[in-house]
Amino acid sequence: MADFRKLVAVSLLTGLLGGLLLSVLQHYQTLPLILAAEQFETPSAEHVHDWQPMDGWQRNGFTLLFNGLTGFGFALLIGAAMYWRDQHGYLHGLGWGLAGYLVFFVAPSLGLPPELPGTDSAELHSRQAWWLFTAAATAMGLFGLVLTKQRGLQIGGACLLALPHLVGAPHPEVAHALAPEELQHHFVVLTSINNAFFWLALGALSGRLLSKVKF
Amino acid sequence: MKTLAASPTISTAKILPGLSAIVLGLTIVLGLGFLQDANNYLHNAAHDGRHSAAFPCH
Repeated sequence: MADFRKLVAVSLLTGLLGGLLLSVLQHYQTLPLILAAEQFETPSAEHVHDWQPMDGWQRNGFTLLFNGLTGFGFALLIGAAMYWRDQHGYLHGLGWGLAGYLVFFVAPSLGLPPELPGTDSAELHSRQAWWLFTAAATAMGLFGLVLTKQRGLQIGGACLLALPHLVGAPHPEVAHALAPEELQHHFVVLTSINNAFFWLALGALSGRLLSKVKF
Repeated sequence: MKTLAASPTISTAKILPGLSAIVLGLTIVLGLGFLQDANNYLHNAAHDGRHSAAFPCH
């Protein structure tokens, strides 16, 4: 399992650097929108006693930790894919970064756009289930469409890409958001841009570092 | 896309290390993005990250 340890080392470094980049982008772009949206929320009695990180370094520290760890997890997926296909170098890495962005951000966001706090949504578990289904279908769909040569698998892949959106994401019967729509729209645009940078950085860095590793 | 499709088979020695990396990666990502605990500690710590990464939150 020496190869596994190398993949972990490369992915950890990639994830931490990618997470740092994303955290800096978020700090200046999307965090102000989240804080603004929270001004419209009144804390409900049941939540008011829950622990939550204090605004400032504590809150930002947890976000940095979250981004670094998810970066590590995503980089492991990119690393494993490139390892299996004997690929390295930043160009291949960019391709896998783009695929990750489509699978884990773009496809789920088409049905369930990134939301500001205070937005009424359908029941959490049904949204999580749709999110997982969409990511899995998009990953398999892209694989069939791009990485296979048989016509049947390519058509199957295209169908899988479309399937979650034909099924449709769960939405509440009456949509209601506390924050103004303009703020929400701004949030969707900025998270889309930030996550694109994050994923492309993860891919390019994975590819670059993997070319330094001898498997 | 030709280069991407250049090596369609995976050598058997590479299956386990790659699969382990995928299992670990998915465990980390899905754990951070989806787990809810009774006291909401995990949710509240991961809150801004989840919102900004388009994970379903609340």
